Amino acid sequence: MVERVSTVTHLLISSFWPILKAGLLITIPLTLITFILGLILGLLTAMARLSRMKVLDFIARFYVWIFRGTPLLVQLFILFYGLPSIKVTISPFTAAVIGFTLNMGAYNSEIIRAAILSIDKGQWEAAYAIGMTKRQAMRRIIIPQAARVSIPPLGNSFIGLVKDTSLAATITLTELFQKGQQIASVNYEPFWIYVEVAFIYLIFCTILTYLQGYVEKRFEKHVAK
Amino acid sequence: MIRIDHLYKRFDEHEVLKGISLNIDKGTTAVIIGPSGSGKTTFLRCLNLLEIPDSGTIELGEDKLTFEDQKITEKIKTRFRKHSGMVFQSYHLFPHKTALENVMEGPVIVQGKPKEEARETGIKLLGKVGLGAHAHKYPHQLSGGQQQRVGIARAMAMGPEVLLFDEPTSALDPELVGDVLKVMKDLSEEGMTMVVVTHEMSFARDAADEVIFIDNGSIIEHGTPKEVFEHTKHERTKQFLNRLEK
Repeated sequence: MVERVSTVTHLLISSFWPILKAGLLITIPLTLITFILGLILGLLTAMARLSRMKVLDFIARFYVWIFRGTPLLVQLFILFYGLPSIKVTISPFTAAVIGFTLNMGAYNSEIIRAAILSIDKGQWEAAYAIGMTKRQAMRRIIIPQAARVSIPPLGNSFIGLVKDTSLAATITLTELFQKGQQIASVNYEPFWIYVEVAFIYLIFCTILTYLQGYVEKRFEKHVAK
Repeated sequence: MIRIDHLYKRFDEHEVLKGISLNIDKGTTAVIIGPSGSGKTTFLRCLNLLEIPDSGTIELGEDKLTFEDQKITEKIKTRFRKHSGMVFQSYHLFPHKTALENVMEGPVIVQGKPKEEARETGIKLLGKVGLGAHAHKYPHQLSGGQQQRVGIARAMAMGPEVLLFDEPTSALDPELVGDVLKVMKDLSEEGMTMVVVTHEMSFARDAADEVIFIDNGSIIEHGTPKEVFEHTKHERTKQFLNRLEK
């Protein structure tokens, strides 16, 4: 019994750094890159949805429809295992960035669109009344206020993304989760290793939750409680 | 200065403006009164194209628009709106900007003025409406009356030929109304052209050059405050004024 405790303890200590390292080198960069790209794509898509040009609205709706209506896992498989059959081969990391970005963009666009629509009509009218064009009103008056409204839901999608990146293990990307899988498969201690993996995700998400709270506070200083 | 001819506007089934014609001279303070739902706010909003009339013409300064014949593009709207400034019932200040930034926004972004120049004008205007000390506060840190005075300064900053007021004191606590009316009276005395929709009869009596009574989408009575309030001609105007006194 004592011997078993010591083996497990030793295993947990020796595996902690390799798993954490995979998280720091792959999971975190993948999350940050795709979140930023997904935010930009989401904003553009939201603009297209709110545009008076019917074609743009249609393309945006179609895009959101596809990526919200199909599983993320299937999207990743199409990109990584499907594309080579039409002679397009991409690295696991690139496939993951593209897949997660397209998925994030679709969800974020709905968050941003809802935030923009939630801003009081009077704000548009006040902007128009001082002679602004629709574009100026959007950029100067509406978007800054919509940004504040959309921080909590975007924070949720950010934290969701951290965990969803574990799906990239299925397209051979050695991120946090796959590193854990590799270690568990050689030493036959899946229970403890996966608890450790869960613990490291928990650390990441906790830090990010604090970060979200900080950003929210900064944006809220101009607004009555 | 302002010439309005046969202005019509309907929302779906409901005809809100039924052929309004009105001339307002430069330097005049025209106060529009009337029951709620009479179309007075819609009329005011047509003057800066927040509502687009169905037919008729509006001439503001040199700029003349005839509705029905011409498509009102965004370009026409932004050009036409340069002639007027608008003060809203619920202020609609930009909550993410300080009082001063609210006032500077138009001059800097729309007119492309240098920031320093806009800041100077902005501080001057805020001083004029009695808020010199509050320039760096955000709207939520100001009282309703203070917010509305920032709203007036913001409209003034664009150097409009006419100021439009849409029930500027209706959302205010009674004790804050006075400060806002005082600023409006000062502007009126300085010769600003103003069109004011309000329920404040004291303002109409004291500060107006002309009073216009609108009911059910038409102008019923139009004259000096003395003519409208003391020598009321029309039965509907009398009824309206009587009801207010009770």
